[in-house]
Amino acid sequence: MKALRFIFYILLVVMMPVVFYMALVWVPPAMGLGDASRILYFHVPVAWSSVLAFLAAGYYSVRYLTKEDYRYELYAWNAAFTGLVYSTLTVVTGSIWAHISWNIWWNWDPRETSAVILLLIYIAYISLYSSLKERPGRGKISAVYLIIAAVVMPFLVFIIPRIYWSLHPDMIFNTKNKFDMESSMRITLFTSMGVFTLLYFFIINLMNRAAVLEKKIQEKIHDN
Amino acid sequence: MENRIYKHLKKDILVEFRNRSAVNISFAFAGITTIAVSLASGGIRLDANIQSILFWIIIFFSGMSGLAHTFIREEEERTALFLAIHSIPEEVYISKLLFNLVFFIFIALVVSPLYIFFMHAIPVHFTHFCLTVLFGSIAIASVSTILGAIVSKAENRGTLFTVISFPLMLPVLWIAIMNTTASLEPGAAPGFQSILFLLAFSGVIISASYLSFKFIWME
Repeated sequence: MKALRFIFYILLVVMMPVVFYMALVWVPPAMGLGDASRILYFHVPVAWSSVLAFLAAGYYSVRYLTKEDYRYELYAWNAAFTGLVYSTLTVVTGSIWAHISWNIWWNWDPRETSAVILLLIYIAYISLYSSLKERPGRGKISAVYLIIAAVVMPFLVFIIPRIYWSLHPDMIFNTKNKFDMESSMRITLFTSMGVFTLLYFFIINLMNRAAVLEKKIQEKIHDN
Repeated sequence: MENRIYKHLKKDILVEFRNRSAVNISFAFAGITTIAVSLASGGIRLDANIQSILFWIIIFFSGMSGLAHTFIREEEERTALFLAIHSIPEEVYISKLLFNLVFFIFIALVVSPLYIFFMHAIPVHFTHFCLTVLFGSIAIASVSTILGAIVSKAENRGTLFTVISFPLMLPVLWIAIMNTTASLEPGAAPGFQSILFLLAFSGVIISASYLSFKFIWME
């Protein structure tokens, strides 16, 4: 397990500078948008990570309800918290990109609206979790909310932007289900998404381990 | 099981109509806001888009005051524990869902004619308008039933219900507003893609809620 974790860290440490080099130097700028278009290689992976956080929160919540292991409650909270950070970054980078391409910071485009709703769901979860403080069923009740939110997420991220016309370009596939991107841009985007996925798992793994340790220390102090 | 669900539903309807607080407040809210919006607009004919936004805001807030009430009442009157011992959670969930569906469809039935009358918002595509109102109401009632159960266990119930329900209901409101706009505007009849969206949304939420309800109820 330790060796696997070591390989994972090495991969992340080596690949992250590679992604920065590819996105900022190697890939040519998009036609008509100039160097500013390079934000794409960070905005899309960050948005993808916020979806990953949603899935992780839903998964840990299901595990908590079925196994009743206190660690999954902590994991679900961590996943939701990282989701909040990633959603905020998605909204901010998206807004910068919107300003560059459409000369407007915000226009309630279906994809922009979906990102804001995801952010609001995370804020709502944190409000719910805080208001259930001191209740024995806190973990289970908030886990149900995360499961309902995870079920709503595909409607927001994958269905609504495809029902209504959007200024936002299709992320990977166009309406004909074909790549609409130059090969170097595509390679950079997919590499960046892969490395950001590794980064997400690195962060969530670290947070989960720290949360379990913190809980154990608290219990030890309480016992003494 | 069906017989017990029917008994729970009958009990909820009887208790609600004897007490009448949630029903009265919701219907009064619906009527007053519709008249207030009409009065404030001073008879001006608004765009279809603005008409549908106002229409769904009225429906949403009219329902908000009553939809969580069915679970909160059980907690406040301390009957929740008795119900948890006496019935299986799935029965309770289905009966509360049916109550909320009936309640919200009633709200929509009161608001829609009032709104059409006072705001001169005559739907061009009447079938599409009715289907949007019906399936939009079903979707809102399905989300608010499980969220009502969640907030009944928390502090600051009223405020929390709005905070946690709004982001999950936004997709429904968004689609319903766009659909209502299309049904108010002349031109080709809108497609049924969005109606299917509302139906699928309700189906998924009801399934997830049915499976997870026992974890909230037995706490």
